[in-house]
Amino acid sequence: MRVPVLLLALAILPINPAAAVPAPAPFAGANAAGPDDAVSARLRRGVEVLRQERELAFGKAFYLRLDASTQRLALMLQGVTLDEYPVSGLEWGVPEVLFVDRRPPADWDLEAFAKGRLEPARERDRIEVLAPAPAPSPTDAASPSPPAVPKSAEESYSVPSPYRIVFAQRVSLEVRARGQGGRNRSLGQRVLDGARLRLADLATALGIGARERVRLRVTLEADAAASLYRSLPPDVGLIVVGLPPR
Amino acid sequence: MSAARVPPGARPVSVAAPRAGPVVARVWALVCSRGGLLAGAVVLLLALAFAGTGWDFRAIPPAAAPPEAMPVSRAALRLAAERERLEAALQRKVPRGSWIVIDQTHNRLRLMRGPDTVLEAPCSAGSGMVLKEGSGGRVWVFDTPRGRFQVLSKMENPVWKKPDWAFVEEGQLIPRNPSDRLEYGSLGEYALYFGNGYMIHGTLYERLLGRPVSHGCIRLGKEPLREVFRQSAIGTPVYIY
Repeated sequence: MRVPVLLLALAILPINPAAAVPAPAPFAGANAAGPDDAVSARLRRGVEVLRQERELAFGKAFYLRLDASTQRLALMLQGVTLDEYPVSGLEWGVPEVLFVDRRPPADWDLEAFAKGRLEPARERDRIEVLAPAPAPSPTDAASPSPPAVPKSAEESYSVPSPYRIVFAQRVSLEVRARGQGGRNRSLGQRVLDGARLRLADLATALGIGARERVRLRVTLEADAAASLYRSLPPDVGLIVVGLPPR
Repeated sequence: MSAARVPPGARPVSVAAPRAGPVVARVWALVCSRGGLLAGAVVLLLALAFAGTGWDFRAIPPAAAPPEAMPVSRAALRLAAERERLEAALQRKVPRGSWIVIDQTHNRLRLMRGPDTVLEAPCSAGSGMVLKEGSGGRVWVFDTPRGRFQVLSKMENPVWKKPDWAFVEEGQLIPRNPSDRLEYGSLGEYALYFGNGYMIHGTLYERLLGRPVSHGCIRLGKEPLREVFRQSAIGTPVYIY
């Protein structure tokens, strides 16, 4: 009876050094003593987030701006909102091993995140055309068969739900769809997605593979979630603003 | 049916409970029951471990803006000033006049003025097709670039100077005389050039608007193009995602 329990404990303890530590409050910030200290702490936090946002706005990469206070997700480039996605639910999560949360790093929410990639990845099927042999005059040219009209985005990409945008700083954004919408994904694919995501959750919680530390989960209307999945530029960044102080 | 005959001297083999006596039978039963318990406990533990391992989520409710307390200390005042400076810097990034946003995935173009949408219309962005030249071995990928651009020039009744791929695609020899590259009328009434050979222009194939069928340029219908041309100036930002 003891052997499996010991083996389980031995397997978990080295990868979960904080297991015995109670998880702290998620958001860094205004836990100062006096009222003026609290004001300063809130201001310092706001200024730090704004600095990160300015860095993104003066860069060349696309980025997502998640505003927790107004519950809006926006695709941005150089400080300009290109598209907005109303958020109907927002959660934050941390890995959990045997019902014990792993400690999120302090001030995790004061960083900007970069190099976001979609998971599952969006594959693009490109049509390849081999040009006909050239003829001396246009009238002699072999009339090429008209090229196939490329599929629209809705036809090209089926959208999993949920899907994730995983950033290089071990933070991810999980997007869940509410309602059906035009996801264009079969039942079989959805069942497979679910099983694969559960296994990936187990692996990341145990620190196997991508060692995520924090995950934000947003729920969007199905059409908005699909639109974001289909049009998300590569290597997108993320800034989270308006998180409540602890 | 007769019982199997056992040769003399051979011992009967049994996989059931040993027949050596009641004590052994009792020990065997005990082992069996303990084994079952053990297996059950292991399964239960694994199920608990599975259920309790993963990600733990907590909701973040939309927050009403907290009442702004007046900064009193010198440090707080300095931070408040810094915050204002940063907010102003971010605000300045938003174009004041007209600007154009193109969603090349959904083939939609929006003409904006400040924060307001002035016009929204279907367009055609790059098809993403790959064209391979049979003999020369050149390859072209018909993608629309992403990023921030600006209108560099505006043309009325633009003339298309056909690049090599336009001849290769149609199975024609590439002309030596530059004037043989010129094509009139195929770009519509107007064109707004935004760099690297890319333009926003009209099309002869309006029925395909809303689908990605271009060679990388942005095709727009006649009426929206007229409005975009009218409201844009040299330097108008063009954001493509």
